[in-house]
Amino acid sequence: MGQGNTVRILDGNTFVVCEDTGDIEATPSEPTGLFSIDTRFLSTWVLSVNGERLNSLSYDDLQYFESRFFLVPGMATHYVDAKLSIIRERVVGGSFREQLTILNHDEKAVDLEVRMDAASDFADLFQVKDEILNKKGEIYTEVEADKLRLGYRRGNFRRETIISSSVSARYDSRGFAYTIHLEPNQQWEATIDVQTRAVGPGDRDLRMGLRAHGGERLALQHDLEQWIADAPKVNSEHGRVASTYRRSLIDLAALRFSPLSLGGATLPAAGLPWFMTMFGRDSILTCLQTLPFTPQLSKTTLRILASLQGSRFDDFRDEDPGRILHEMRYGETAAFEEQPHSPYYGSVDATPLFVVLLDEYERWTGDVALVKELEQESRAALRWIDSYADLIGNGYIWYERRNTETGLENQCWKDSWDSISYSDGTLPPFPRATCEVQGYAYDAKVRGARMAREFWGDPEFAAQLEREAAELKERFNRDWWVADGGYYALALDPDGRQCDVLSSNIGHLLWSGIVLPERAEQIAQHLVGPRLFSGWGVRTLAEGETRYNPIGYHNGTIWPFDNSFIAWGLRRYGFGEEAATIANGILDAATYFDGRLPEAFGGYPRELTKFPVEYPTACSPQAWSTGTPLLLLRTMLGLEPHEGHLAVEPRLPVGMGRIEVLDIPGRWGRVDAFARGRLDLHSLAD
Amino acid sequence: MVDATTRFFEDLDRRGYEPLLAKTSGTVRFDLHEGAQTRHWLLAIDHGRLDVTQEDREADTVIGASPVLFDDIADGREHGLAALLRGDMTVTGDARLVVQVERIFPGSPDARGPRRRFAGEVH
Repeated sequence: MGQGNTVRILDGNTFVVCEDTGDIEATPSEPTGLFSIDTRFLSTWVLSVNGERLNSLSYDDLQYFESRFFLVPGMATHYVDAKLSIIRERVVGGSFREQLTILNHDEKAVDLEVRMDAASDFADLFQVKDEILNKKGEIYTEVEADKLRLGYRRGNFRRETIISSSVSARYDSRGFAYTIHLEPNQQWEATIDVQTRAVGPGDRDLRMGLRAHGGERLALQHDLEQWIADAPKVNSEHGRVASTYRRSLIDLAALRFSPLSLGGATLPAAGLPWFMTMFGRDSILTCLQTLPFTPQLSKTTLRILASLQGSRFDDFRDEDPGRILHEMRYGETAAFEEQPHSPYYGSVDATPLFVVLLDEYERWTGDVALVKELEQESRAALRWIDSYADLIGNGYIWYERRNTETGLENQCWKDSWDSISYSDGTLPPFPRATCEVQGYAYDAKVRGARMAREFWGDPEFAAQLEREAAELKERFNRDWWVADGGYYALALDPDGRQCDVLSSNIGHLLWSGIVLPERAEQIAQHLVGPRLFSGWGVRTLAEGETRYNPIGYHNGTIWPFDNSFIAWGLRRYGFGEEAATIANGILDAATYFDGRLPEAFGGYPRELTKFPVEYPTACSPQAWSTGTPLLLLRTMLGLEPHEGHLAVEPRLPVGMGRIEVLDIPGRWGRVDAFARGRLDLHSLAD
Repeated sequence: MVDATTRFFEDLDRRGYEPLLAKTSGTVRFDLHEGAQTRHWLLAIDHGRLDVTQEDREADTVIGASPVLFDDIADGREHGLAALLRGDMTVTGDARLVVQVERIFPGSPDARGPRRRFAGEVH
C-alpha cells in the first residue's frame, strides 16, 4: 500500500498518510490523506512557495503521533542554491496541527507567497482505493474571514474539516495563502489547525470529545513515556531482542484505540493505517500475546466486546445472540448500511476466544471481579458455540454467511476467498468448519469449566462443560485426523469430507490442547519439517499442496502472529526446542524490518532468499504482528502462571545469549525472569 | 392500533427486568420530535430493573429521533447504531448507556437467523 515514500502518524483512529514532503494528493493507487472515524477529511494538502512545489531534504517520524519535514523550493538539482528552508512539523492528537517555519538564508530580503491548497473528497475508508464518482451527498466549501470550512452532507450525515491559522491568512475556496516579507536570516512561523468534525444536529460532535489520549503533544508524549514505564523491561545480551521488544511496545501504544462507548479506555486496534478500529479476533489474539506485559489492554478489550455482544438475529450483520463482533466501523458506508460494520459479526473464532482470553487474563492477574462481571456474557458465548454456530448439528462450529452481498465468506482468520481448499485445490461448499476453531471451542469449554467451578459457583455447569469438551476432543480426533499424512485436516465440508491439506492451523490445535498426546509428536515434526517450516517460520500452507504459493496471502506466506501461537502450542506439549526454532526464525526475520514484523512475508526457503520477502500489500504495524515478539518471549522463557506464582522455565537457543525480563506484572506483584540460551538448534534443523 | 414505540416501552415496563442490562444503571430519555411536539419516554434502569414513564425529566442520556424512525427501531426494521452514525438519531450525555440499551431492541422481523443444513432453523 504505497509504503515506499509514505509517512504515517496517528492518534487513535485519526491518522495522516502523506508523501515525504508532507503533501497529500490522494489517488486510488496512493490513498493518502487525513483520516478520522473511517472518513477522509483532507484529500489535498499541498504546500507551495511562490508557485513552486517543494522538495524533501529529509523527514523524521519523531514519534508515532508527530513528524517533521525539511524542505526546499525547486527541483532536486537546485538544492545547493536554496536560499530558503521550509520546515513542516505536525502532530496528530485528536485534531491535526501543522507548524510551518520558513527561514531566509539569503543576504537579501525576500517577498514570498506561501500557499496551501486544501480540499477533501470525504471518502469512506472503504472507498479510498476506488475512483469516487458518485458520492450520494453534497460536498460544500465555506470561506470565512478566519477559517476555511470543507464539508460533506448526506441527509443528517455531516462531516466537516475546519482549517484555521495562528497567523492571519487569506482563505479562498481552494485553500489559503500568506504574503510574507523576510529580512536576511529572519524566520516566519504559522501554526495551522485542522479540526475533523462529525457534526450532529445542534452542531454537536458525534464523538463528544472522547479521545484515546490527552490530545496535546505534551500529553501524548507523557502518555507514551508512562506506557513504557509501566511495562516490563527487557534486556538482552544481543541487542536485537531488546530493541525488537521496545519497537513492539511503542507500536502497541500507537495501536491503542478508544471506542466511543468506553469512556476513554483503550484496546488494541487491528492495524495501521487501514484497520484502526475494533476487530474481535485481532484484538483478542493481540491481548493473549501481550498479557504478560500489558494486561490492562485485555481488561478493556473484554469489556468492550462484551458490551457489544450480539443480542438478536440480524442477517445483514450476521449477528446472533451471544456472538462476539468481528469489526466495527464509523464511516458513511456503515452509517447508510452499504457495508454491515455497525458492527459486523461475521467471525466464528472471536466468540470462543473471548472465553479463552477471560480465563487467561484471570490466571495472570487474579482479577476475579472481571470474571464475575462477565459471567453472563461468557455463558452466552458458550451457548452460541453449541447452538447457532453448529449449522450441521454434529457438534462443531460451522460458518455460512447470511449476508451474501457484503458479508465474509471465510469467517476464520484465513479469511481470503481461496484460503480453504481440498488437496486437489478445489474449494469446498458451505457451510465450512475449520480445524483451529474447533480447538478454540474445546479450550473455551475447558477454561469455562474452571471459571464456573472456581468463580461462578456452578460446579454442575463446570462438569457439563468438561464432559462436552472431552466428547468434542474425541469426536474431533476421529473426524479430522488425516491418517496417511499424520496431521489434522484444515477443514470439513458439510458432508464431513476432509480438506486434507497440511496447514499451519494444526499448530493452533496444540495451543488449544485438543491434540491427543500420542499424536503431538507427529504434529510437532510437521511444523518444523521442510514442507511447513521455511527457516524463518511456518508457512500458512505446506509446500507441495496444489494451492501452495510462497506469496499466496493465506496459501503459503508466513504470518508472524500465526507462528507465535504455534510456538506457544509446541511448548504446551513439551516441544521446547521446536518452539525455540520457530521463535528464533521469526525474531531473526524481525531484524530485517527494524524490529517491526509485517503482517506476512513470503514462504520462500530461507537459504534461497537470505532475507524475508515482505508480502506486497501487508499492513504495518499490525497489532498481532506487533504482539508476536512478546508472545515469543513468553514462550521461550516458559513464563506460566502457576498456583499464584510465575513459573519460569527457559528454553532458549544458544545464539540468543542472556535475556532478562524485569517487573513482570501479575497476581504475584512484579517479578523478574532470567534466561540463558542453551539449546543447540542445529541438531534439529539437520 | 398502538404504535411500535408504545408497544416496545409498555413491554419493557411489563417485564420490569432485562438481563442484558443487569450491570447497567442510569436513566435514558427518548425525545421523539415531530414539528413543535415532542413525546418523551423515560427509561430508568437499576441493575436490569426497568421502570418506564412518559416524564420529561433530566436523564443521564438523552436520545433524539423522529417518531417514524423510532417506530422502525422499536420493531427492528431500523438499526439504532447505524441511525446514530447517520445522524438520524442523536445522543447527548453518557454514550455508554446508548450502546447498552441499543442491545435490547429487537432484530429485524425478516431475519431468518442461522439455519441448520439438514434440520431446519437452529432457533
